Amino acid sequence: MRLRQALITILLAGVGWLYALVSPLAQGAGTPDRWWGPGEDRTWPQRLDYEDGQGQIGVLRDGQPLATHDHPFFTALGPNGRACVTCHQPADGMSLSAATAQARWAATGGRDPLFAAIDGSNCPALPQDQETSHSLLLKRGLIRIALPWPPRGEDGRPIDPEFTIEVVRDPSGCNTSAEYGLNSSRPTISVYRRPRPLANTKYTTHQNFGVLPFIGKNGLPATRDPETGKPSAMNLMSDARAPTLKVQALDAAATHLQMRTPPSAAQLAAIVAFESSLYVAQSRSRTAGSLEEPDGPSGLGPAAMQKGEAGVLGNNTTRWVIPMENKWKSLPRGDDAAVNERNAARESIQRGHDIYMFRTFWIRDSMHLNSVGLGNPAKRTCATCHGMHMTGMDTANGWMDIGTTNLPWAKEEPQNPWNAQKPDLPLFKVTCKDRVAPHPFLGRVIYTQDPGRALISGRCNDVGTIVMQQLRGLSARPPYFSNGSAATLREVVDFYDRRYEIGYSEQEKQDLINFLGAL
Amino acid sequence: MLHGLALVLAAGAQAAQPDPAVRNFIACPIVRDTASVPCWLAEYQGELYFLTLQTDVSAPVNPPWLGHRVMVEGRRSDKARICGGIPLDPVHLSVIAEPDASCNQILPAEERYNLTFEPPRPPGPSGGKLAFNTLPMPAQAAQVKAEVQHYTLNYDFNGLVNFKHPFQLAPALETARAMGAKRVEIVGHRGAALLSDGTVLQERSGLAQQRAEQVAELLRGAGLAAPSYTVRWIEATRTPNGVDDYAGRRVEITLLP
Repeated sequence: MRLRQALITILLAGVGWLYALVSPLAQGAGTPDRWWGPGEDRTWPQRLDYEDGQGQIGVLRDGQPLATHDHPFFTALGPNGRACVTCHQPADGMSLSAATAQARWAATGGRDPLFAAIDGSNCPALPQDQETSHSLLLKRGLIRIALPWPPRGEDGRPIDPEFTIEVVRDPSGCNTSAEYGLNSSRPTISVYRRPRPLANTKYTTHQNFGVLPFIGKNGLPATRDPETGKPSAMNLMSDARAPTLKVQALDAAATHLQMRTPPSAAQLAAIVAFESSLYVAQSRSRTAGSLEEPDGPSGLGPAAMQKGEAGVLGNNTTRWVIPMENKWKSLPRGDDAAVNERNAARESIQRGHDIYMFRTFWIRDSMHLNSVGLGNPAKRTCATCHGMHMTGMDTANGWMDIGTTNLPWAKEEPQNPWNAQKPDLPLFKVTCKDRVAPHPFLGRVIYTQDPGRALISGRCNDVGTIVMQQLRGLSARPPYFSNGSAATLREVVDFYDRRYEIGYSEQEKQDLINFLGAL
Repeated sequence: MLHGLALVLAAGAQAAQPDPAVRNFIACPIVRDTASVPCWLAEYQGELYFLTLQTDVSAPVNPPWLGHRVMVEGRRSDKARICGGIPLDPVHLSVIAEPDASCNQILPAEERYNLTFEPPRPPGPSGGKLAFNTLPMPAQAAQVKAEVQHYTLNYDFNGLVNFKHPFQLAPALETARAMGAKRVEIVGHRGAALLSDGTVLQERSGLAQQRAEQVAELLRGAGLAAPSYTVRWIEATRTPNGVDDYAGRRVEITLLP
């Protein structure tokens, strides 16, 4: 009986959030519609706030309110009707949640340009009017990323990869497709990844700590801004293939928007300027109340992101990753039950912060962490890797393999006679060639759902490495990890607990979830 | 066939007798937890040796990896034991590339083995600075004279460029730019190592060339395209003495105005 009640509660909560997604009435007076479609004539204000799963997400913008009409970020520049904003929605922290994709499917019968065959479906070869052809976007919020094989260098010439790759499993059919697959006339590998938030970009594109001409993880040359020649932080995109926002915009225009000719210089400049003006963070917690009170922790809320120093290390007790100043360490209790409940929730967020910074565990067999000077294993904390001040990213060159896409740690559908659910992501077999050393932690043969950075670098040691994601606005943009394998923050925490045998208590898990949800 | 240890040779008649204080060997590393940061140890001929502590990227000696054996090139010191092991000082550590699942020992913390000193950095956040002040800073253009400049990159046994080399390559790159280098000469070497049991290990053949060509490729890849490059390598290894054999694993970069 209790279980049934719990299920009903969960269902109602889910319906409530979906209602908030599709109904302008649910936003409250004065809140703009959640969905910002291409070509709309609207005004983007300096501040936007939207309800999300844990409270409210805030989007702050430098400068004056912006008319979106004819602005290239909001304009369908290519033939498929999409604009940048299609996959970078303010209500989703400038990313795109699976719930939003579901709402758009429901609202448009699958005719929204979001579901464009090229990458809004599991494969363009599938019948596009069927929901199942878009299941990865609808269930996991994943966009198809088609990359050439072998990889191409910055000069466009093929790289001789250090490994061979075979398709082991291909639920979408795209990797074995005669037209789109590995054996097609233009050999291509399709992987499926979450759109990354286009906000807080001064942190993701900084020129500060850790940005060197050579990559701090392996000594190879860092990618460079093609215009200035300066090395980049290599923290944009899951595989770091774009050194700058401008290059990313060009890449997205050609692929996601299917533009046949590149955007003009003016359009690119406007897109980059807009992206560079946005700051996203959770602004209110459903249980802990406002995250932006003047006497509250200085590191929470979008205004903190706007003010913060970019590209500096925060894994220390002088600057902190997320400054909280112990403001919520111990709060008073009184006669007001609501205040007591709020204060208890705030203390939980503070405890989650302290776990993030100080709770040690053994980090083991993680490429580009254990291999870069700390030893294997390293007894460290969350903040060791998630160390950039204000964002919780790596400061530079932030790709690592923690096992989100590589077996044996990646989430796989159990295969047994009692489970009808089939795996929905591809699986590749990677074999490191004899001319290179085997992968130090996975050996010469690696099974992976997404080779990650290795599809760009061609390097065996990069297989399954993914550029770390910023931790801001998480509550607004589930699911998590680059392959959408964690539906909730609880699943994120459970993944780490299982992967590194941490042994978090239930209280520790909940405190961490509350902390992450408040960012 | 072990990748990277393919050229294990029997004791060479030409090799010098090892110094008695030298402890050069290959073994599984051992982690010992403490109340603070973990220690890294290795056992050789029934004795436990302390290799290093976990600190951060700035450490002059970085810990090895479980799941792999480690090549230790060290000198037994008279210092007090740390974590139960006799400290080797100096010590050079090279992770053996081939995985070895038998190297998997983590010893629990014991009161008697806790550190008796403050480690250079705790296991969690730092106090706002790196553990060691060893990372070289790129040269300032104003300080660079238009004269021949030399840089040396040192390598782990059988190793190529790794995470430590950006801090050595970046100054060379910046200096070359600042002085407007016309020529870059690169010479790659491979080395041999004399172990304490008399075994001589030779780095794999072709590595000197690979190192030299990789450095040239990295400098060009980082944008240093203007100078002309002369890339050479010396395949022959010097006779190992068991004392400073690590110095033979190197690439020399010469910048000429």
